Amino acid sequence: MAEQIIKPDVNFINDIIAAGGESVKKCFQCATCSVVCNVTPEDNPFPRKEMINAQWGLKDRLFSNPDVWLCHQCSDCTAYCPRGAKPGEVLNAVRKLSIQHYATPGFLAKAVASPKALIGLLAVPVIIFIIAIMMQGHSFFPEGEIIYAEKFMKVPYIDVIFSAAALFAVFGFIMGISRYWKDLTRDMGVSSNPWQRKVKGPMIAIIFETILEFITHKRFKKCEVTKDRANTHLFVFFGFVGLAITTTWAIAYLYGYEFFGIKAFSVFHFGESPYPLYDPMKILGNVSALLLLAGILQVITNRRKNAEKAGAGSYFDWLFIGIITSIVVTGILSEVLRLVDVRMLAYPTYFIHLVSVFFLFAYAPFSKMAHMVYRTTALVFAKYSGREEKKF
Amino acid sequence: MAENKKVLVVGGGFSGLTAAIETAEAGFEVIIVEKTPFFGGRVTQLNKYFPKLCPPNCGLEMNYKRIKNRGDITFYTLTEVEKISGQEGSYDVTLRMSPRFVNDKCVGCNACAEACPVEMSNEFNFGLNKTKAAYITHNQAFPFLYAIDGKNCKGESCAKCAAACKYDAIDLNMKPQTINVNVGAIVLATGWDVYDISKLDNLGGGKVANVISNMQMERLASPNGPTGGKILRPSDNKPARNIAFVQCAGSRDENHLPYCSYICCMASMKQATYVREQYKDSKASIFYIDLRTPGRYEQFYWKVKDDPNVTFTKGKVANIIEDPETKDVIVEAEDIMAGKKIKMKFDMVVLAAGMVPSTKTAKIPGDITYTPDGFVAAASLKKGIYAVGTLKSPVDVARSVQDATGVAIKSIQSARR
Repeated sequence: MAEQIIKPDVNFINDIIAAGGESVKKCFQCATCSVVCNVTPEDNPFPRKEMINAQWGLKDRLFSNPDVWLCHQCSDCTAYCPRGAKPGEVLNAVRKLSIQHYATPGFLAKAVASPKALIGLLAVPVIIFIIAIMMQGHSFFPEGEIIYAEKFMKVPYIDVIFSAAALFAVFGFIMGISRYWKDLTRDMGVSSNPWQRKVKGPMIAIIFETILEFITHKRFKKCEVTKDRANTHLFVFFGFVGLAITTTWAIAYLYGYEFFGIKAFSVFHFGESPYPLYDPMKILGNVSALLLLAGILQVITNRRKNAEKAGAGSYFDWLFIGIITSIVVTGILSEVLRLVDVRMLAYPTYFIHLVSVFFLFAYAPFSKMAHMVYRTTALVFAKYSGREEKKF
Repeated sequence: MAENKKVLVVGGGFSGLTAAIETAEAGFEVIIVEKTPFFGGRVTQLNKYFPKLCPPNCGLEMNYKRIKNRGDITFYTLTEVEKISGQEGSYDVTLRMSPRFVNDKCVGCNACAEACPVEMSNEFNFGLNKTKAAYITHNQAFPFLYAIDGKNCKGESCAKCAAACKYDAIDLNMKPQTINVNVGAIVLATGWDVYDISKLDNLGGGKVANVISNMQMERLASPNGPTGGKILRPSDNKPARNIAFVQCAGSRDENHLPYCSYICCMASMKQATYVREQYKDSKASIFYIDLRTPGRYEQFYWKVKDDPNVTFTKGKVANIIEDPETKDVIVEAEDIMAGKKIKMKFDMVVLAAGMVPSTKTAKIPGDITYTPDGFVAAASLKKGIYAVGTLKSPVDVARSVQDATGVAIKSIQSARR
């Protein structure tokens, strides 16, 4: 083997330990993990090599390595690890550090990972929404029939605030992913311009294949020790997909009516919210919300059940789970409280709902939400670079 | 001068025999008890043993002769300790002797075994074959008296063995006996068991026919073993010419045995030479995490490594399955040096299973503390009670013998108080 100079980064080892990979040093490189892993490629398998890179603090090798994201933390490796080194948890810690490493601006990433900064992060949407309510001259507990969009937070305010949050997130993702892609391609020795390289198939096809894989959770389902996780994740995933469709649909109702003058017909209630419960859009929204609720509750149960085998998870993991839980619980409650007409509870609940959604959107590139984007990128890269060629 | 008390040795393996003989030869009376019907312990089951790679009879035979030639060693087989009380210089011990159903008139003619209708798993061969309920483990067993297995024998209702015996050596009415002794010191030498490979679910132990333990491999290679020393695989008795050795099968593993069993690397290398010497074109592949060759054993490793047909692969085997058609064994590992997952097919796989102290399952009566892994916590033993060899940590024969010799002088000191 050619001579290589490696520069161990001691601080990075400590970062991994602090990020939930406290067992990293227990690894004695037996390679049981690489063998029992069902999702690793045959050639140069993970996570044994990631474990030694982590022990040596070889930050660059870990961040630019798509395998870190090919890992789905099944914890098969952790269950069979003879040393209790928990490779699944160590890689989870590396993924968290990776999100922080590529996130722009970096200070926000640090804040999202730190319990101390939680109040500050929450304060941003709280203040924004308080100002918005005051600007509209609305009461915090409006009188009469509960209509969130008319008496509390008008649609233009919602649109502006959330568009800004979404744009901010998209900007963060673009910055992060472009840096990540550059690192990925540099290390695998391929051109950083995907279009200049001869690839196995067109990029679009690769992306399509990756998305298809997500929809079926094909890879996730290969997990053995934490088998149920793939299914619960599917619940959450499709819950979100359903809610995204619902949101688009609602936009179509509102702007279809406002800009194109489409009137309500049959069960389709073009116009302003609230919409009746039998509207197909409403049905989709409610079903998706229940799917998401069922999913996230199972996520919590599974995590607690598997804590010994798969690790209890860090603040970073639980913050993400907490925010999703908050969104779905306050979302459903807002609707229920509106229907049963409990004004004094309905508006504060809806307020928390808005804050939670803002939190998820605006901080997505810095929170565990970013796993969606980084994992997709890593999988696309793996297919694109031939890493995934061999089927096991 | 204080009165010289007797010394009790519990366990008739190499350590116990050594402690007993060394003590007796220093002029002290010794009682040695053995749980099974025969002495010799694990060493008897080996084909060859380190450091000189001689067969077990070299060493054991000499020890048996030393016992037989002396009048001051009393030995009991099928005997276990039931109770210990007292203190250094005067321990009252209750022994319980199970019936052998065969007396000293036995000449070892095998007529009883031929007549016996009951077949049982041959535990001396780790279940690789069957034996009759009237049996002797091998042709140099000590004492050379058949034994009738109390659990499997149908007793008086059958008695075919008694009818077949021309020497009046069989007495199916023998009853368990209790023996009380007073001794000055007690040496515990109850040895070890091989780790149960069926607990290694990902390594096919107990599921895949041609996956055996290292101790089973010793029996296969041993001239007095189930195949007469031919290394034949269990599924179809075909010669096993291409064998994989899986190191740390249970050892150094928190989920199984969280310690290194000391001997398994050497055992696998030794067993690689068995197959290399037996079949000209044979191959042995040793999969390891780290090869551990304590002390001068390193030189044996150099010798084995020089054989081009023995390969060493760094990477623990973590998955073993059976090829259902050929019954060959498919072994999966990461070849760490090459950075590749590999799948290889072998005629047979030997799991280098670890050592479990016998006290993990069978505790010794009395005030004895154990480590979480079941070893005797030697420092906590009462004065006048000593543990030897593999009861304290995994060791090889040579170190057990050294330990037993040292314990002989310790127990003499206790027996004179």
